[in-house]
Amino acid sequence: MHATSAEPLARDTEHRSRADARHDLIFRLLLRCCALIVLAALLGAALSTLWGGRDILFKDGLHFLFSSEWNPVEDKYGALAPIVGTLTTSLIALVIAVPISFGIALFLTEIAPNWMRGPVATAIELLAAIPSIIYGMWGLFIFAPFMASIEPWMNDTLGNIPLIGQLFQGPPLGLGLLTAGIVLAVMILPFISSVMREVFRTVPARLKESSYALGSTTWEVVWDIVLPYTRSAVIGGIFLGLGRALGETMAVTFVLGNSYNITASLLMPGTSISSSIANEFNEAVGLHRSALIALGFLLFVVTFIVLLIARLMLRQLARKEGR
Amino acid sequence: MSAVYARRRIVNVVALGLSGVATLIGLMFLVWILWITAQSGFGALKLSLFTKITAYGADGGLSNAIVGSLIMDLLAILICAPIGILAGTYLAEYASTTRLGATIRFLNDILLSAPSIVLGLFVYVIVVLPINSLTGGAISFSGFAGSVALALIGLPVIVRTTDEMLQLVPGTLREASLSLGIPQWKLTMQVLMRAAFSGILTGVLLALARLAGETAPLLFTAFGNMYMTAHPLDKMASLPQTIFQYTNDPDPALHAIAWAGALLITLFVLALSLLTRILFSRKKVSYE
Amino acid sequence: MNDLAAATAAPLTGAAVPAKIKVRDVHFYYNGYHALKGINMDIPEKQVTAIIGPSGCGKSTLLRIFNRIYAIYPKLEAKGNIELDGENILDPSYSMNRLRTKVGMVFQKPVPFPMTIFENVAYGIRHHERLSRADMEIRVEQALRSAALWDEVKDKLKQSALGLSGGQQQRLCIARGIALRPEVLLLDEPTSALDPIATGRIEQLVEELKHEYTIVIVTHNMQQAARCSDRTAFMYLGELIEFDNTEKIFTKPGKKQTEDYITGRFG
Repeated sequence: MHATSAEPLARDTEHRSRADARHDLIFRLLLRCCALIVLAALLGAALSTLWGGRDILFKDGLHFLFSSEWNPVEDKYGALAPIVGTLTTSLIALVIAVPISFGIALFLTEIAPNWMRGPVATAIELLAAIPSIIYGMWGLFIFAPFMASIEPWMNDTLGNIPLIGQLFQGPPLGLGLLTAGIVLAVMILPFISSVMREVFRTVPARLKESSYALGSTTWEVVWDIVLPYTRSAVIGGIFLGLGRALGETMAVTFVLGNSYNITASLLMPGTSISSSIANEFNEAVGLHRSALIALGFLLFVVTFIVLLIARLMLRQLARKEGR
Repeated sequence: MSAVYARRRIVNVVALGLSGVATLIGLMFLVWILWITAQSGFGALKLSLFTKITAYGADGGLSNAIVGSLIMDLLAILICAPIGILAGTYLAEYASTTRLGATIRFLNDILLSAPSIVLGLFVYVIVVLPINSLTGGAISFSGFAGSVALALIGLPVIVRTTDEMLQLVPGTLREASLSLGIPQWKLTMQVLMRAAFSGILTGVLLALARLAGETAPLLFTAFGNMYMTAHPLDKMASLPQTIFQYTNDPDPALHAIAWAGALLITLFVLALSLLTRILFSRKKVSYE
Repeated sequence: MNDLAAATAAPLTGAAVPAKIKVRDVHFYYNGYHALKGINMDIPEKQVTAIIGPSGCGKSTLLRIFNRIYAIYPKLEAKGNIELDGENILDPSYSMNRLRTKVGMVFQKPVPFPMTIFENVAYGIRHHERLSRADMEIRVEQALRSAALWDEVKDKLKQSALGLSGGQQQRLCIARGIALRPEVLLLDEPTSALDPIATGRIEQLVEELKHEYTIVIVTHNMQQAARCSDRTAFMYLGELIEFDNTEKIFTKPGKKQTEDYITGRFG
């Protein structure tokens, strides 16, 4: 048996070697094709929405971007109101979510006792797991009425502050840019805080210890050592949150109020790119549909750029760590 | 001197106190949202939700939406899991140092947070419209198109986890296999995949959890259907899209059904993400 | 036999027994770094050759050229000739399959595949040969017996190999290697992750296996080299300083650096 099994072994190896090389090549090509699908998906999303929006883009060009008129009856479409709505709600979301996320990250990395960190971190991350439509429902049925109940108070207090007072004047509808912004803030909070938490942990212990040794308080260590050290990644995390906020649909569609008027007040209804698409696409035909797809293209380009910046910033810290 | 010291201490205490408050705010929203979902959802749960279709409106149920969701989610995973696993394998095993690999990895991370509604538009343009013109208008929106859109949501999750999990597999396992003359493809499919199995499975479950809750990409791909269907080329109802539709309706009876559906999705998604956590932490322990 | 070899040995070359591997002017570059600087040595057939030297001297690098496992990493380059039975294995036309069935390797840390014990041994064979179920069982048993593991695992062949102890896992890896019936067995610090008892068993196994295989063992443990090798090579800073009978190396080293190393003055 020994002799017979050794013989074919010697004879077969050349043949087998060639077969293996061929299979390896095929396998490699197959894998590469699959990996290229990721590229194709991104490129395809950009090109297909550009193609779908070509009618309005060729017809109106830049005017499409800067016109605030959105009138399906007269078949006139300008993207300004949705753009302003998207930017405003995302900005509100950032203004609220960044300090809270920072607080959570600070609490979880520097203050909380060890037994508390895991469960609390998990709980915060569960916020990211809740489907966005649930945020939308909660926003519409629960949070909007709550906002409606405190908006008269806002009118009376914040509304009287010079310069920013205008932002907080308006009828207490509950629906509007501010409500949408707050719902978005809750949605993106877990993303920003988890990035911050992760990057805060990368700060070398010796840096923190040497500062503590000089008598710094915890807050001073975080503010003077941890934040500067992780600055780029923290900004990256914030941009990541911004990218999410810009593209979010379901959480804001119900609570924005769906109005194409651009107003100075955050309490007034508005619209956003994504909610315009979600609300109108299935009834839209012709130029209207083209305008909505063109909006999608705009949204894609803007979020792509924001996310690109986010990833580049995040990568800087990874480089610094030598990863 | 002591005044300076006292001031620094006060700043410290206030800042740390505020960070605790921030954490409480985060937790409060979690509890608030989950509580409302549970309360409104359990209150509206009844057997007819699982037996009746949405065509009956307030007297109906969600059975066709549940079935539609299950079919589309499953089909989406069947589409994105093989592609994502192979793509992630490419990144980890063949392109961990190449420029193409770095580019794909980078862009995959962007796809991970790309707006899902745009992915829906993408699928509308590349799947719904072509099928529509191919069939002369007989078929337009379909469960299949919905699945493709959902697959695009799941794909980057699977690519990334597979990539990371395979990179955790010790290089010695590769050396040991190759030194037995095992070719790279066999080594990858039979040894490395097995070693990273629970991690890769975690990625697939995470992808499922993410795409199961997605609404936006389904609106103009699967469209929705009042009746029960299991045919992937029919318009197909899904839980998130039905919830969207019912929430937009003024009828409070439909709101109740929407909440029940919301509870079902939330339970499903949270259970999945907790399961993946358990899987993943167990894997970490057993590995080294 | 040692006496005979000692009488005829020439420095830096093999022994009276024929050379299985002839290393001729081998250079190795690691990202442009010159890691091996012109190595010449003859590895004698069916003997145990130990390679010793301080960390970073290139001993593992040299071993990893013998089955070209280095080639799976980018930016590594070997130059020169390594003849296995008269054929240059560094020649790109030399089939990788052939090389790897002729030269088996065991690594520093035991790396069982995530499969059953039986499959661990059968997996490699199955790729190269088509055997009946019964023949395969015989082959696996033979390999496990040769690796002195059979008695410990014969009742749990269907269990995962990850459940074995470190020493058992390492012997399983040896069994896996010899199941392919190689001619040369490379051992890269095979006991550095093991306890003394497991180490003893492996050393004993090496002693038994040398009757059938040409064995090259890299070790940082000088006692191990002294105990279980016939010939010992000392390397330092990418160069082969001395290569001779083990007994001579450890009693009358020819070079100052070798003496310094084995007496523990550096490294």
